[in-house]
Order: sequence, then structure tokens, then C-alpha cells
Amino acid sequence: MSGDNYRSRYTFAMDFGTSDFKFGPITLGENPRIVNNRGYFPDKSSVMYKAFEPTSDVIVGEDVPLYLQSAEDLSSRLVYPMRNGMIDKSDDQAWRVVSTLSSYSLDAFKPEPNDGFQGYYVVASLSSVSPRYMYERLLGLFQQNNHGKIKAVTVIPQPFAVAIGHGVTTCVVIESGHGNSQVCPISKYPIRAAQVALNRGGGDANAITSEILKDTGYGDLATEEAVVRKVKENIGLVPGNLDSAIADAKKFPRKARAKYKVPGTRVEIDLEKDSWSRFLIGEYVFNPNHEIFESYFSRGMPRPKDVKMGDTIFRGMLDFGEAIIASVERCPVELQPMLYREVLLSGGNFSWAVPPKLEDIAVDAPTKVRLLLRDRGIKNVSVKMTSSPQFSVWHGCIIYGFAVPENYEWDWQRLEGWMRVSN
Amino acid sequence: MGAQQTPNSDPNQKGLSFLVGSDSVHVMVLKPHDLAQRNSIIDTVLKLSSLRNSCQTVYLAAPRLLGATIDASIFRAHGIGLLFFDERRIDEAVAPQPLQATRPQTAQPAQDPGLVSELATLKSMYFEMERNLTQLRDDLKNLHGAPRNGGGFSPQLSQPPQAVPPEPVFAPNINQDEALHSYFNNQADPPPPRGGSPGVLPSYFTNNPWLEVLSKRGRSENGRLAG
Repeated sequence: MSGDNYRSRYTFAMDFGTSDFKFGPITLGENPRIVNNRGYFPDKSSVMYKAFEPTSDVIVGEDVPLYLQSAEDLSSRLVYPMRNGMIDKSDDQAWRVVSTLSSYSLDAFKPEPNDGFQGYYVVASLSSVSPRYMYERLLGLFQQNNHGKIKAVTVIPQPFAVAIGHGVTTCVVIESGHGNSQVCPISKYPIRAAQVALNRGGGDANAITSEILKDTGYGDLATEEAVVRKVKENIGLVPGNLDSAIADAKKFPRKARAKYKVPGTRVEIDLEKDSWSRFLIGEYVFNPNHEIFESYFSRGMPRPKDVKMGDTIFRGMLDFGEAIIASVERCPVELQPMLYREVLLSGGNFSWAVPPKLEDIAVDAPTKVRLLLRDRGIKNVSVKMTSSPQFSVWHGCIIYGFAVPENYEWDWQRLEGWMRVSN
Repeated sequence: MGAQQTPNSDPNQKGLSFLVGSDSVHVMVLKPHDLAQRNSIIDTVLKLSSLRNSCQTVYLAAPRLLGATIDASIFRAHGIGLLFFDERRIDEAVAPQPLQATRPQTAQPAQDPGLVSELATLKSMYFEMERNLTQLRDDLKNLHGAPRNGGGFSPQLSQPPQAVPPEPVFAPNINQDEALHSYFNNQADPPPPRGGSPGVLPSYFTNNPWLEVLSKRGRSENGRLAG
């Protein structure tokens, strides 16, 4: 079987997202398999554990809900290893979840015996802000857990995979997840020195939604994360210009009225005269610097802070426009116009709808980023959502695994190439 | 594509009958109260054996509790499938062997090894041709001075993202026969792991300029390295 032919069957991709783990071989076609990126450490004294004693002491995949116990128990036993895109060096629990998920994914796609299988070419993707020790640890896990399932392995950053999956070789990718966002310029290689990380993501939009619920008399719902997230997704809007959107919504309250009924319950949220506040949710994601947010900070909502994780500083209050400019301006001047020409948005934090009646004041994510850049004098810009926001990282990993020559060996300076796995 | 439940040919016959494609499958279910009755297990197995003339595949579905006492190798030797169930799920402990003796004999066309190898050669030639064509297309684009990023990538998703079908689960309030029916339906569907076509590349490969860029990795290292 020739090399290309072999890899057209045995290329395997793993996308370690903040919430979901997407995995599977090239033969799955367009859609990978998805499980939550989490693991549960069951109480070994529980009846469920004794009755169905699992082979591993970390439960991952579809079986997790069967072992869940009380809510108090979850905070310590249910581990989301990539919640912030990074795992601490000494967080053994999180690394055990990653290890178990990797084995679980490869075991789910065991090829038929005697069909020429000599191990998968595995491409895993991590957050672009992952420090070097995460690469070392992850590659080490693949070496340990191999058991003939892996021929060679590599790790690439998620924004790089997004650019590959979208088919654009020179661009800026903004990947925004639950806990943080990353701006990464790409020009055939990821330009790591120009990356900008933001300490702001979907979780911050949840925080302001929770404050709005408290202010409008739904304080009892404001503590239930799942409800808050649903409210955010259903009533949150991104304004083209916050001041004019608020003025318009106050002038025509029926037009902008925000109502949401929680499915399967009697709970209905109606912001009535305060419906203008739905625009704060989207604005806060893209630009938390408007003075209106100061009142929330002064009443106790935490202001997104600059934090240092590993070698990276995650900026709290930088708006997306400034973040893109800061990132692009670290690249060579002659490359900059080409980078602005293709700005790709990826991740669930950019999925904002525009209701038909509010098209004059609400905008989608690409338009908002374009407006933020225009305000700073950058006009010749093309901003797009990735064609397949949920799966573009996995697609990129599959293409990378298929196309990169087998003899391109792993290099710790480049953080690229194939690392051979001994069987 | 799924299994279809069919009525039992003999009204006195216990268990569930299904039609999977052209094969008939029969499942005898041991209920927990059967365990208390003397000889009920051996009686059920004997009845299953007697179905050889009417079914291609037979299963015994037993409570998981019996797992420790049943010797699976006997079932394997006689080609009878064995399923264990509890309130959570159904597992196939022993896969059934189709009962060849009762299957109408059809003449199998002899496989010509020459033909098989020719087919493999043709397949690899087609694959190579497709790669060359992509490269030619890119070269042509460069010749015409097309924009650097091409913009020709137009992914055509054949279907929207679908959730992974969950494993069959026995909830306490679900009728066990319904659950078995749903299990066989799922079993009859093409398995997702090998559902794609090996050798046929997904649509997001079409006109993707990265195929050329990445295939040159390691050949000329004058590119911009990671900072």
C-alpha cells in the first residue's frame, strides 16, 4: 500500500476543545465523533462502581452520566481538563483524563485485523497558547499508550488547523472558546511570536447575562449555569453601535423585546422595559470597555483581568479589534495587508444571530469585528466565519496528517513534524 | 436499513423475530423470574437449537446476573449468539454464526486474483491522477496570476453535523422487547467507524491549497518558522 493510499485510510485526528473532544479517522468523512472533553473519577465505594466495576478508574465518553452522583460531588470528581485551554504541569488528574480520552478514541476505531494496518498517523490539536510542556506531556502519553495503534504522531495549534480546514494559507484566525480567545496570524506556518491571547470567552458573556437576570428580577435563575447559557444564546445580541442600539431599544421597546421560555418548564423570562440590556451581552464579548459596564464592575462582577499562564499574558480588557491589530503589527509590514484581507472567526463564542426585525441595530460577529477594525482605521478587511465552525479544527488536522510527508520529522524548535512511535 | 420485527411463525413460539436484510433473526429472552424455574435455561437453549431450520441467526438474551455462570464457549461452538442485559444496556457477549446448514446454497463466483490485483492497481492510478489533477489546477491558477489564497475552497457538506447515536440503554421504565428491537435496529445500521469510503477523500480536500503547501514540508526550509 503506497504512503498516500495508506494515509487515506489511517489518518486520525483529535481536537481537544474546551468543552468537546472531537476525534476519528479520515474515513469518517465530514463529521468526527464527539464526546465531552471531561472525565469522571468515581467514588470507589459507590454501588454503581462496585456493581459495574469499570476497567479504568477514570470514566470518559458516553458512559460518564451513568456514574454521576450528587451535584456537590461533581466539582471534585468531574474534571474538564481543557476548560481554560491549558493544563497545569502538575495537574495529574487532568492529564489522566487526556490520556484516557486518547486511548478511548483510538479503541473506538480499531481497524479490522489483517487489512494492512500498521498504526494510525495521529494529529492532535491544542490551544495555540499551550506551552511547550503540554506538547512534551501529550506526545509522551501517545508513546506510552500506543500498543500498536499509532505509527506516528504530531500536535498542531488549533488556529493553524482552522486555517488549513478553511483552505486559507495567509490569514488571521481568532478562536474564541469558553474561557479565553486566541488571535493567531498564519502565513503557511503559525506565526507564534505574534499571537495575542485574551482572558475573555463565552464564560464572560454568561457572567453579564447572569447580572442582567439579577437586575431584572430573575435572581433565582442567575445561579443556574445551564439556564444562563440558554438565556444568553436566545436573547443576547451584538449591537453595531451600543449607544444607538440602546437608544433605539428604549424608544421602541416592543421591537427589541427580549422574551425566552425555558423549554419543558413553566419558566419564562421577559426583560420587558429592560430589553435594551440584551445588547450588553454581545457587546461585552467583543468590547468590554464601554462605560456602561463600569456599573456592573462596581457592583461586584469581576472585571476580566490580565493573567499570566505559562509564558503567555492573557489580556482581559483588550477588544477584538485592538487584539487583531496588536497581533498583525507584530508581523512584517509587507505581510500585514494580506493578513487583514482574511480574518477567520472560529468557535462557538462567535455564533450570534440577527433577528429579522432588528437588522438595523444588531449585527453578526464578522460585521462587529469589521466595525471594530474600521473604528481604528483598518478598512480593507474581509472577516468571515469558518465554513464549519464546529469541525474546522478536526478537518485541518486530517488534511495535515494526510499531506505532510512521512519523513518530515518532529522538531522541537518548529513544534511541527512527525514523531515516530515505537511499537 | 434497520431490522424489522416480524410475527413468529408459530404462535406458541416464545421470543422475538426480526428480519435483517434477507436474514431472519430470532431472540429468546430469559426474564429474571425464569432463573428461579428449574430447567428453564436448558429448555430455552434447546428451543433455540430447534430453530435452525427456520432462522439464519439465533440469540439468547439473558440477564447480566447470569454472566458469571454461563460458559460462553458452548454458545460459540454451536453458533448461538449471547446477549447480556441489565437496566442500563445490552452487550453482545458472543456473536452468532449464521447457520450455514439451513441457508440455501448459492454458487459463489470464484475470485480471480488477477482481477483483484488489477482493480487495486486501477484504484491507486485513479488516486495518483486525482493528486496530479489538483496540482495541475494549482499550477494553472498560479500561471493566471490568481490571488494568493485562491478563494476556490467551497466545502460542500453532504449533511449537517449529526450527534453520535447513543448506545442502547435499558431504562427501568422501558419495555425490554422495545429495547431489544431498538438494539437490533442500531446493529443493522452501517457502523459509523468504518462508514466512510477508504481512498475517497472528504469534500474539504477539494481545491485546498494547503495540500500542496504541507506536502512540501521538509523539502525547502526557507519558510517562516515558528517564532
